[in-house]
Amino acid sequence: MEHLLNELTFKIVDTLNLVDVTPNDIDPDDHLIGGKLGLDSIDILELVMMIEMDYAVKINSKELGEKVFSSIKSMAKYIYENSSEVS
Amino acid sequence: MVCPAGRGIQSLKNWINLGGRKIRPLSLFTVSPENLFPVGEVSESFEVHEIPRSHQLAFTAAQEAMAGTQTPPDAVIIGVTTGGILTTEMHLKNHVSDPEAFAYHSAGSVAEYISDKYHCKGPAITVSNACSSGTVAIKIALEMLRSGQARRVLAGGVDSLCRLVYYGFKSLQLIDPAGARPLDKNRRGMSLGEAAAMLLLVADDITPGDAVVEILGGGLSCDAYHPTSPHPDGEGALNAMRAAIQDAGISPSDIDYINLHGTGTPDNDLSEAKALKSLFGSCLPPLSSVKGAFGHSLGAAGAVEAVISAISISEGVIPENTGCQIPDLKLGLEPVMVPMEKKVRIVLSNSFGFGGNNAALVMGILQGKKPVPLPKTPPLTIEGFAGITGVGDINEALEHISAGKDCHGMSPLSEISKFLHPSVTRRLKRLPRMALALAHAACKNANLQDTPSSIFWGTGWGPISETYDFLRKLYESDEQFTSPTDFIGSVHNAPAGQVAISLGASGPNVTTTGGDYSFEQCLLTASILVEKINVPFLVIGADEFHEALSPLFDRSVTADKVRSDGGGAICLKRSHVSDKPKIFPVFFENSTGNPNIISSLFNKLGSLREIENRFGTLLAGIPSAFRQKGEKQLQEFLVLSDFHLPVIDYRKLTGEFASASAVAIALAAKFIQNGKIPASLCNGDDYFLNGKGILIIGFGKFVTAIEIVP
Repeated sequence: MEHLLNELTFKIVDTLNLVDVTPNDIDPDDHLIGGKLGLDSIDILELVMMIEMDYAVKINSKELGEKVFSSIKSMAKYIYENSSEVS
Repeated sequence: MVCPAGRGIQSLKNWINLGGRKIRPLSLFTVSPENLFPVGEVSESFEVHEIPRSHQLAFTAAQEAMAGTQTPPDAVIIGVTTGGILTTEMHLKNHVSDPEAFAYHSAGSVAEYISDKYHCKGPAITVSNACSSGTVAIKIALEMLRSGQARRVLAGGVDSLCRLVYYGFKSLQLIDPAGARPLDKNRRGMSLGEAAAMLLLVADDITPGDAVVEILGGGLSCDAYHPTSPHPDGEGALNAMRAAIQDAGISPSDIDYINLHGTGTPDNDLSEAKALKSLFGSCLPPLSSVKGAFGHSLGAAGAVEAVISAISISEGVIPENTGCQIPDLKLGLEPVMVPMEKKVRIVLSNSFGFGGNNAALVMGILQGKKPVPLPKTPPLTIEGFAGITGVGDINEALEHISAGKDCHGMSPLSEISKFLHPSVTRRLKRLPRMALALAHAACKNANLQDTPSSIFWGTGWGPISETYDFLRKLYESDEQFTSPTDFIGSVHNAPAGQVAISLGASGPNVTTTGGDYSFEQCLLTASILVEKINVPFLVIGADEFHEALSPLFDRSVTADKVRSDGGGAICLKRSHVSDKPKIFPVFFENSTGNPNIISSLFNKLGSLREIENRFGTLLAGIPSAFRQKGEKQLQEFLVLSDFHLPVIDYRKLTGEFASASAVAIALAAKFIQNGKIPASLCNGDDYFLNGKGILIIGFGKFVTAIEIVP
C-alpha cells in the first residue's frame, strides 16, 4: 500500500504535467480537487483513464469518482481493493 | 433536414405530432459491447464513399432547403464541428498516406462543398463553435442579411457521428448508458446524434410566398469560466438569452415556447434551469428538449432545433421532452411530457457548448415587416497587433525581412509560451498556446485598459496535435483508452475558449474555419457581429504544423522544405475618433464557377484613381496549392488596376500555413505604423507610404480583400 501511494504521487505529477510540484510535495491526505495541486474535473477524468490503463480498475460514475478522488490515500485504497494487479 | 426522425421536413413534422424516442444502439461503426451506447443515428447510407458522411448529410438537407429555387444563395454559413473526420479516422487507422484521401477532411470543406453545389459566388463561412455552431451560424446569417451584405443566405449545421466524438464524450463520462433523459431526476448524461439542417434565409422587400417563419433575433455570449463545464449559475446562458430577446425587440413574456439546449447532463440541465428562472421568474412558458429523442448532433443541433421551432410555430404543436419520466424537482422546470397543441407565435431556442459558448435564437410568426437597414457604424480601427512567425514576433520578423531574409520556420514552443504561466499551459499543446500568446501580445500592444469583449478566432485546421494524440492513443489501445484532455483540446474553438477564460472575455466567442481563408472568415464575421462602439475585441488567426497530419491535410505545406507555422492577432474597436489605422474586409468571393471574380474585386475597390490614391502596396497571399491559379488571378488584377507599386508575395516571407494571412495583416499594420515598406521588398529603396494604405488580397479557391488605411 505504501508502495502504491508512492507510485501514485509520481503518476499524478507525470500524467497531469504538474509544474512547480514534485511527488514529495504531495501529502496523501490532501484534497485532490480544489486543494493545493489546483486540479479540476478534467484532471480527475485523466486520472480515471490512467487508473484504468495501469491498474485495470474502472471508475465510471461521478458519484464513485467523488469518493475515490477525495485524496491520494482514498485513491490508493480503492485501487488496492479493486485491482487484481496490485498486491 | 435529415435527422434520426428521417429525411425531410415531413418526417420531422410527423415526429413532432407523435413524439417517441429515435435513439438506438450505434451501428455506423463497430465498438466493443461495453462501449455500445444508444445514439441518434440517421438511417441513410450514402454511395459515394470519397465524400464524407457529413458532406452528404449537409447536401441532403440543402437539396430540400433549395428545392424550387434556381437563384444561388449570396452566402453559405454552416456550423460544423468535425467535418470529414469519420473518413479521416478510417484512413489514419489504415495508415493511408495519399493527401487526396483527406481532401474533404476539414470542417470548412462542408460549406465549400455546398457552396460549389449551389454556385454560390459569395463567402462560405464555417462556424466551429462546438455544440452551439448551428445557432451561431444562423445569427451570423441574420446579421449579414440585416447589414445588406446578402439577401439570401443558406445557413445551417451538420455533424456526423464519429469515433473522436463518441469516445471523447465517453471519456468525459457524459454519456447516459440508458439514453439521454433531459430534465429527469435520474438523468446521467447525453446521447450523441447526427443530423443536418439547412435554412434558406431571405431578406426581401416582399416576404416570399413559401416563407415559414421569421428569425427575429439572436444572442451570443461566453461563460469565460471553464473549457467544458457550464457556469454553475448559468450566467453566460442568461446573457445569451437576454441578448437574443433584446435583439428581437420582444420581452420574455412574449415567448410561447422554449426549445431547450437540454442535453441531459446533470450540470447542463441545472445551469440552464437556473438561467431560465433568472430570466422568466415563475412565469415560464412551455419548454422541452428534443435531445432525448434525437441525441445531441453537436454542430447540427442548433440548426435542427431552429427547424423544429419553425415547425412548432407553423403547425401549432410543441414537441415533447422525450426521455424524461420524472422531472427533477431541483430544476424547477415543468417539461412538456407529450406533444402539445398550442398556438405558438414566438420561440426561444438555446444552444450551449464547450468553450463556454452560448447562443440563443428568437423566431416568430411571419409579420411581413420590411428589413430595417442598420444605422451606419464607425469603422474598425486596429488598436494593437501581434504576430508569431518562424523567427519570432512581428518586430523580429521585420528585422529579418529588412535584412532580405524570410521568416519561414516554427518558433520553439518555449518561445511561444514564454509569457504564459506554466499552470495555464500544462494542459495546452501548440495551437492554444499560440492563441493565448497572440491574444495577450495584441492586448499589450494596444495598451488595453479594458477587457476585450469578444474573441473571434480563425484556424484552418484547428488543434491537430490534440486530434492526432487522441486518435493515436485510441488506436494503440485497441479503442480502449483515450485522453479526455486531448478530446477537450481537439475542438476547433478550444483555443478561443482558453483566451476568453484567460482574459475574462464574456461577449461573443466565435470560431471560423476554412483552410487558407479562415482568418478572412473570422474578420468578416467580426465585422458583421460587432456593432458596439469603443468596445475592444480580438480577431486572432493561427495554425500549427504537425509532422504527421499537416502534410496530409494541407497540400500547400509540402511545397516548402522548411515547415512553417504561426499566426497573427489584431485588437480592434469601432471608433470615429481613434487615430489608429482602419481595417475593412471588403471582398470575399468563391472563385469556382465565377470567371469574372477579378473584375468583381476591381469594381468593389473602386476606380483606377481610387485604387491609386488609396493604396501604396499590395500584399498578395497565394497558397502554394493554388500557385498557378493564384498567380493568374494576381496578374489579371494588376493589369486591370494598373497597379505599379510594390507587390509583396507574402507567403514567400511567412512560409506555407493556412493562417499566413493573419501574419500578413499584422505585418501590414506594422508597415503602416512605420510609414514605409522596407527596401528589401521594393527593389533597393525604402518605399514611403505617404499616408496611403495597404491592400491585402488572398487568391486561390476564394478571393478575399482586406484594406488597411492610416
